[in-house]
Amino acid sequence: MRIVIAEDSAVIRAGLAEILADHGHEVVAAVGNAEDLLAAVDEHEPDVTVVDVRMPPHFTDEGLRAAIAIRRDHPKTGVLVFSQYIETRYAADLLGAASGGSAAGVGYLLKDRVADVGEFVEALSRVAAGGTALDPEVVTQLLGASRRTGGLGSLTAREHDVLALMAEGRSNGAIAGILVISERAVEKHIGNIFSKLGLAPSDADHRRVLAVLRYLES
Amino acid sequence: MDSADPVTGQQARPAVPSAPADAWRGTFTPPVAPPVLPSPVRHDRIWFQQTTRKLLRAPFTRDTRRQVEYAALGLLLAIPGFVFIVVAVTVGLGMSLSFAGMLAGVPLLMAALLGARRLGAVHRRLAGRLLGVQIAPPPPLPQETGVLGRARAVLTDPVGWRACGYLLLKLLVAVIGAIIVVYLLVWGFPYLTFPIWWEILHANGVAIHVPGWLAWWKPDPLVAAGAVHSLAVSFALIPVGVAALLYCPWWLKGCNDWDAKLMARLLGPPMGHRVRELEQTRARAVDDSAARLRRIERDLHDGAQAQMVAVAMKLGLAREKLGGTVTGITEAELERALELVDAAHRSAKEAIIELRDLARGIHPPVLDHGLGTALTTLAAHSDVPVELVIDVPERPSAAIETIAYFCAAELLTNVAKHSGARHATLEVVHVPGLLRVRVSDDGCGGARIEARGGLAGLAERVRTVDGKLSVSSPPRGPTVVTVELPSHA
Repeated sequence: MRIVIAEDSAVIRAGLAEILADHGHEVVAAVGNAEDLLAAVDEHEPDVTVVDVRMPPHFTDEGLRAAIAIRRDHPKTGVLVFSQYIETRYAADLLGAASGGSAAGVGYLLKDRVADVGEFVEALSRVAAGGTALDPEVVTQLLGASRRTGGLGSLTAREHDVLALMAEGRSNGAIAGILVISERAVEKHIGNIFSKLGLAPSDADHRRVLAVLRYLES
Repeated sequence: MDSADPVTGQQARPAVPSAPADAWRGTFTPPVAPPVLPSPVRHDRIWFQQTTRKLLRAPFTRDTRRQVEYAALGLLLAIPGFVFIVVAVTVGLGMSLSFAGMLAGVPLLMAALLGARRLGAVHRRLAGRLLGVQIAPPPPLPQETGVLGRARAVLTDPVGWRACGYLLLKLLVAVIGAIIVVYLLVWGFPYLTFPIWWEILHANGVAIHVPGWLAWWKPDPLVAAGAVHSLAVSFALIPVGVAALLYCPWWLKGCNDWDAKLMARLLGPPMGHRVRELEQTRARAVDDSAARLRRIERDLHDGAQAQMVAVAMKLGLAREKLGGTVTGITEAELERALELVDAAHRSAKEAIIELRDLARGIHPPVLDHGLGTALTTLAAHSDVPVELVIDVPERPSAAIETIAYFCAAELLTNVAKHSGARHATLEVVHVPGLLRVRVSDDGCGGARIEARGGLAGLAERVRTVDGKLSVSSPPRGPTVVTVELPSHA
């Protein structure tokens, strides 16, 4: 993969570059602010970018706004937003922007997740390939928010687990592995979820996620 | 003027019997709150010992000396102040009754009010210096242009009129205080040594009378018709003398406290002004603490948190390298893993240092041992050699200590960063009611309180506890920054 990293903390930037290089990926640019990020994406047209939310000069959501701009202007470039805190609103903004475009290649992860290097690189690959990677934290927050409003009351506990994993961007096989059930059972649960939520099932992973999230946002 | 003496004279005397009782109730609190102990006997004894010690020591403390100085200087100032106000105000008002007289009367009245403001400030400073009673200065006179505008501003200045009131009452308080003190001393010493006098006077056939207020105490035949008849009775008067002398400092303190209350009412800022000021300082305090929390969050986010993410990344990568044990690890992979663990180790240590600095920045633990210890440590870490002068016999409240510490820290940092000084002095003095932190250096000078600057931020923080910061920094130095804080906030 060809990757652009935007992260203002030098230690984390260097660490990320090291990990990705170690896994055989090419970091074409590593920058420290949103403006440089947009320029680098224009120049290199990378497969995927890793973007910190908080960057100079105001340290608020510069990275997020840049990520949304990249989604709009470079639909082929995946965007993995990377942050020390999870903000539900940021996730909603990002996914809202994604669904307006080609609806693919979005991720939102806590920085902590990078500690599990293999999983992190896998999530990044998923985003680069047009899939989705949402932090379990994001999913919990979104599900929690929607449960409070009573939207998912009709789901069973198991269906809830499956939905959460789906929202993270997992495939049926992965969900079956994690929950230690057969892939057929997963398919059955998903079918139930979709019918309970009134959604038609679809093949592509990210479509399922976005469908679920669109429901959660409403 | 003619009416002044009889007025005070007449009022002072009837006030005598009741005033000491009031003053006593108002000011004398048991010196030490009785400690809670299992045995009531012991607790009574300790309380008794401490009270006795305090009573016996009272006449000789530094505090008492200051009270005496205050009362004496106050009386000396009060007499001309009273005369000035009475004369200037009555003559000024009297002349203003006629239209022509106003030309002279109004300026005279203005002079009286402006003078009262000034004299009030002198009294306020005296109380601050000697009694440790800090009274905030009243708001300055509103700036008006033109003769009429200025006249109106002065004549309607509530601060000036209240100061007039104070100057009139001050003489009353000072005279009452002085009369009783003199009275106690004049009777106290002779009573203490009564047997000697009795011997001498009796031998010369002089009858000695006890004063009228002791007349209830004349159980015949010891004291007949108020006269002391025998040596035995003269011995009995010694405790009366002792009591009179020991009571003296308490009475004086009572009078001065009374004076201070009057001052707070009449020489301080008017209530409305104070409320506005408190609203402002509260808003500043809230902003300041929010800003500080934001800064701490930023420091954590950019510092230790990022470091720990880096540590986790490196360890994660190293774990991957070492994870392939089943298939065997190559030499190169092992070496790479070792390098990564090494780097993670270094980052972790850096994160620890960052966390420690940050924690110390929130509250230096050494401050728990008192300002002196904390500042000694601070001065030792300074890049510029610092001479320390610390005189803090009593600890101010914790909040004040913290602010004083951070002021000193920031001022010393400024010295090291901006002044180019070779030498700095940090002076911290605590007198009753007031903690003063002063940092002076022999650097290039030119320091100013600028909007959004470091000194302005410091001044704001100091103002939240009613303190003040002043800067004296001519070009080419030396720079002296003084922070004055109330002992308790």
